[in-house]
Amino acid sequence: MMKWMKLAVRNIFRNKRRSLVTLLAIGVGFAAINLFYGYIHNSYRGLRNMAIQAEGLGHLRINRAGWQEKGKLDPEKYMFSKEDTEKIIKLVTEEDGVVLATPQIQVTGIVTNGIVSTVFISQGIVPKDDKTIRGAWSTFRPVKGKDLDDQKKYGVEVAQDLARYLNLTAGKDGVVMAPTLSGQMNALDMQVMGVYDTGSDFSNDKFMRFTFDFAQSLLDTHSAERIVVLLKDWEKTEEMRSILLKKLTAAGIAGEIRTWEELSLSYLKTKSMLDMMFFFLFTIVIVIVVMTTVNTMGMAILERTREIGTLRALGLKRRGVSLLFAMEGALLGFFGSFVGMVLHVCVWAIIRAYPPTYIPPGISMPVALTVDLVPQVLFLLMLCLIFLSLFAAIIPARRAAKQNVVDALGHV
Amino acid sequence: MALIEMKNITKDYHLGETVVRALRGIDLQIDKGEFVAIWGPSGSGKTTLLNLIGAIDEPTTGELAIAGKDVRSLSDNQRSKHRNEMIGFIFQGFNLVPVLSALENVMLPLQIKGASFSEAKSKALSRLEEVGLSELIHNRPAKMSGGQQQRVSIARALVNDPSLVIADEPTANLDSETARMIISIMRELNEKDEITFIFSTHDQRLLDQVKRLVRLEDGKIVNGGAKQ
Repeated sequence: MMKWMKLAVRNIFRNKRRSLVTLLAIGVGFAAINLFYGYIHNSYRGLRNMAIQAEGLGHLRINRAGWQEKGKLDPEKYMFSKEDTEKIIKLVTEEDGVVLATPQIQVTGIVTNGIVSTVFISQGIVPKDDKTIRGAWSTFRPVKGKDLDDQKKYGVEVAQDLARYLNLTAGKDGVVMAPTLSGQMNALDMQVMGVYDTGSDFSNDKFMRFTFDFAQSLLDTHSAERIVVLLKDWEKTEEMRSILLKKLTAAGIAGEIRTWEELSLSYLKTKSMLDMMFFFLFTIVIVIVVMTTVNTMGMAILERTREIGTLRALGLKRRGVSLLFAMEGALLGFFGSFVGMVLHVCVWAIIRAYPPTYIPPGISMPVALTVDLVPQVLFLLMLCLIFLSLFAAIIPARRAAKQNVVDALGHV
Repeated sequence: MALIEMKNITKDYHLGETVVRALRGIDLQIDKGEFVAIWGPSGSGKTTLLNLIGAIDEPTTGELAIAGKDVRSLSDNQRSKHRNEMIGFIFQGFNLVPVLSALENVMLPLQIKGASFSEAKSKALSRLEEVGLSELIHNRPAKMSGGQQQRVSIARALVNDPSLVIADEPTANLDSETARMIISIMRELNEKDEITFIFSTHDQRLLDQVKRLVRLEDGKIVNGGAKQ
């Protein structure tokens, strides 16, 4: 096999200019696919972190069964009592893969600075737990002012655009109004602890954060709407959902659990769009690689017709001729992928050293364009291109093998 | 038993709707160890006859046996194996693989056969030595003269120890002196190893060196078909 491999390698570099163009075509295609994959791989991680940390969704959200459909009509019926909340948190935190389980409650109402009023949506959270959920995100997007604090019961955080509309800054006072669970209007004084960036244009003009106790006071309840669960490993999300559902059922609690993917407003849609773009690019590159290889091998066969005749006269079987050209095709794929790998690493290093920035739709500030280097995908694509080039070469190779020996020897 | 036995062989070529009869009822017997020249004017059917003997083409009608084997009954793979083991080819244009060195070119038939690298190398070196090219084994064809290339081609034809060597106008691209040298090498090998050589030529200067002359005209043997 080695002797044929050696012959195939030498044949590839026989027509240097043509081989260079083919290798470059394969290499550029390889680099383009990998760079785009590296970009979307990084984007998926960013979107995932944004959903879990920035949106504060955690990995899993436990609601009472039926909350999704009927919770708005009769909230109290579909919330967890104080006892149930404590029981669920105990059950969930017993699991090894769980970092924490924390109660939350959502409030919608009107916020005013005494002059101007507007609507708000607020999450009532346990500040210490929320800080854990946000993790590195709270450093990336720090609060201007002070963080929420359980000791400061009337302290709230306001999203940056909402704060701007109402001219609220850290230390200023206001009033929030919301209907209690029994339908009475309730109002509480508040003090702005800090102003924060939600990361999204869609939520920056209406979001607020209250402490869990403050939100319960405003809604006049001791119940919790949901328990948010943070896991050690996001890849265990589905597995943990099944485990927790079984545990809740066994404990006699009718609950429904949704994952961060199901809850996130944009993750699945954005992922689906990027996947489609990747598939589109991948298809174009593959077509180019196959056509380039077929063309190169076709030209090589035409030029080497007499040589094929000689090899056949010397006793090489048709299968041997096919194999020789298929091997040349596979080697084109290999060397092309190698060129692509070098190109990819160079561009990756440049982007890493000088990352360009852009503002994605719906995002409130520029983000750096970052490309991941994913070795598994590099090697997988290399294998894929080697096999594709091999199969692309088989078509002209079979034609070459079928040639009549006398005609091939007489070819000029 | 004759090495080559041809009975009433015809060969037609179809050029569009026109049928060209290249060979018209050839009867020919060649024994092991003969040194035969097929000669005649251009278009007389010399190359066609050699192609049939070399099992790279099939007769339209007639019987053809090489070493008692009916070549027409062989499959393509069997015919490839038969060529590799039984027949050596020397071409007018040398037909060496340009990306391989002289040594690698000579090793090729053995490697096609499946011989190990060391066996192929030692046999190829020995054949290259016989044709006087020990010094040029690492040269590629482009760096060799026509005569040197043809000697590599002879070494390649002999490396598998074939019963039969077919040479189609082996001296056509060579000057007179080199042509004589090539024929004399072939003659020596024929006498030393009893290898049957059949070559085509229309160069009358070379004909005095052969043992048997077969003259073809218009696809028919006009002289030398029967053993002398």
